[in-house]
Amino acid sequence: MTDLLVISDELAWPCAMLLAWLAGEFVHRWTNLPRISVYGLVGFLLAQAMPDLLVPDGSSQVTLLANIAFGLILFEFGYRINLRWLRVNPWIAVSGLAESALTFGAVFSIAYWQGMPPLTALLLASLAMSTSPAGVLRVINEERSSGQVTERLLHLVAMNCVLALFVFKVVVGFWVFQTSGSLTQAVSRSVIELLASAVLGAVAGMLVPALLRSLGTLARDGTVAFAMVVVLLVSITQAADLSPVLATLTFGLMARHRRVTFTRTQRNFGAIGELLTVLLFVFAVSTLDWQRVVFGASLGSLLLLVRFATKTVAVALLSHVAGISWRKGALIGVALSPMSVFAILLLEQTRYMGIVLVDELAALAAMTLFMEVLGPIITQRALIRARETAKEEG
Amino acid sequence: MPLEEFKSSQPLTMGVELELQLVSLSDFDLTASSPDLLHLLARKPFPGHVTPEITESMIEINSDVHTRHGELVAQLRETRDTLVRAADTLNIGICGGGTHPFQRWSERKIFSKPRFKEVSALYGYLAKQFTIFGQHVHIGCASGDDALYLLHSLSRYVPHFIALSASSPYVQGNDTLFNSARLNSVFAFPMSGRAPFILKWDEFEHSFFSKMEHTGVIKSMKDFYWDIRPKPEYGTIELRVCDTPLTVERAAALACYLQALCSYLLERKEEPPAEDDYLVYNYNRFQACRFGLDGTVVHPKTYESLSLREDILTTLRRMDLHAEALGGSAALNHLMQVTHMGSDAHYLRAEFDSSGSVEGVVDAAIAKFRGN
Repeated sequence: MTDLLVISDELAWPCAMLLAWLAGEFVHRWTNLPRISVYGLVGFLLAQAMPDLLVPDGSSQVTLLANIAFGLILFEFGYRINLRWLRVNPWIAVSGLAESALTFGAVFSIAYWQGMPPLTALLLASLAMSTSPAGVLRVINEERSSGQVTERLLHLVAMNCVLALFVFKVVVGFWVFQTSGSLTQAVSRSVIELLASAVLGAVAGMLVPALLRSLGTLARDGTVAFAMVVVLLVSITQAADLSPVLATLTFGLMARHRRVTFTRTQRNFGAIGELLTVLLFVFAVSTLDWQRVVFGASLGSLLLLVRFATKTVAVALLSHVAGISWRKGALIGVALSPMSVFAILLLEQTRYMGIVLVDELAALAAMTLFMEVLGPIITQRALIRARETAKEEG
Repeated sequence: MPLEEFKSSQPLTMGVELELQLVSLSDFDLTASSPDLLHLLARKPFPGHVTPEITESMIEINSDVHTRHGELVAQLRETRDTLVRAADTLNIGICGGGTHPFQRWSERKIFSKPRFKEVSALYGYLAKQFTIFGQHVHIGCASGDDALYLLHSLSRYVPHFIALSASSPYVQGNDTLFNSARLNSVFAFPMSGRAPFILKWDEFEHSFFSKMEHTGVIKSMKDFYWDIRPKPEYGTIELRVCDTPLTVERAAALACYLQALCSYLLERKEEPPAEDDYLVYNYNRFQACRFGLDGTVVHPKTYESLSLREDILTTLRRMDLHAEALGGSAALNHLMQVTHMGSDAHYLRAEFDSSGSVEGVVDAAIAKFRGN
């Protein structure tokens, strides 16, 4: 009997992934809904059905794999960000800042007003600023969309995430300072951690293109080289308690702007990227608990509505001056809905620090579950309404 | 719909149309961005005209009607600067070139406009692999008879324009070994090629066009994809063989070369055109597409083999006086340089060699179009 249990324990993840993938393919074919929404839903249902088998602890191999999957997506994300554009058209940065700040303020006020302790409310508000880069990029690639909504969505998500990460770390640092009273520890927890991660990514972003160049035409396809370095970066950052998110994002950003030779990388990192995505989206929801979701549903929904409204309104208001139509502006705001993966991985990281936020924040559990499943669908609809998807017109 | 009457226009006036590529700055592939670009451009007055094209990753600009090289090149530069500014606001790259070096035709979107949808339904993959970018030059003609006379007299010079404008060596990621691979896509269409040898507008209208229309194969002049075709509603002939050059300066120079040639031909000092001129037409055109300036053409009257480069240089020299009278000497000098330095196709191949990838080729084309 114990043998059987061990086997099923080992088989739990592969089986869950296979199930999620199959369901994703079928549902996508029948309904055209984004695959990742289905992965999330299946992952959540399986985790509820077999809570002991699927729930990973913070240091497991699955967490590492999920971080690598996320790292690959973030690298591709960073590679598509054009910093020069933000300089030429500053209104994009302005709308990103406005939309994030407004969301932060609104979510904090409501959470505080609902009786949440101020620090918890601050952490929740910082997470609410973020948009899931994984969700957005997967939908964009799945729909093969291109145009201003797509392009600006990518840039705003990147800004959102960097801002959210920054504010989150500052709040965590403050938290550490309050509980431990040590300023050094607090600073090292936030500022140094962020700096070191960014430097690590930047150095990799300079070295790899140079290496590829010296390899010449042999390395015209940089997919494997970039993937290897992403894996390395994630492992290093995870071992050194740094931020894999920031490191891989900076890596992509730097690799793009330092590209000495133009290398083609496969979208989504090809088949391996697809595989890891299934794992990532199943993993992201496996930490959520059904009872907490139910408990936090009402506050979670309220906060989601507020977040949805602030993002849409802020981006829409600044759309004309930024060079696009009001309609496309509003659609960008709408498309910024997905939230979950980024928030969950961030929280997973802080779990070992004694900040067990997921457990405290029932509202967050509800928000992430809803947005894990609904967010990609909303983004997909926004892109279709903006007529930027390839499928619609054939 | 019967053929419109040929509207007389001032002889030797000229206008230029350029089809341009819209490119993503992340991966340098074509990007379906024309609706966004047109939306932004509509906010301010535009120097010239800008219109959507069959796929959303293409945009067309038209100059006004000009008589002098200086005015034409000034307007094209202003148009380019406006476009580049708008594209910068939207994170789009704009460039010339007859083909995109590595786009996959299956990924193109068709601009939602009924005519384009019809074309797409009729031609299938041809419509999508027709994602190619050309320059059209209009020359004003006093009458339909003049137009047809010029159209056929110019047939001998068509290879010049192909070789001088050639900027499409790469297709679907590979070097085609052609200098203008774009024209191969045009030739696939049933109504492409040359106009029938008719020199009187009356005859063209009644014994050719109306018969063709009666067959049901065509509805209007638009359905003919000829290398040179008359445009009765403008009172012009339209040369359609040029690839979009990488710079607007080259586009203006090509237009002024055509203007000078027409001025020369209208003196009617050359032997008049004949049906037999077309015996060597397809061969010469192929030589120009395949080998560019290094091609060898056969003179339609003497059957003499000529180096295309030499033939162009001789013709440029002969046009000197005409160009001077029309204010286009600078244009001919520009083209003289091209025969020495090589065409845009040559430039793109050199960029491929130095950057090592087709993405690097697009990047170079974007920088070249900006004019810095």
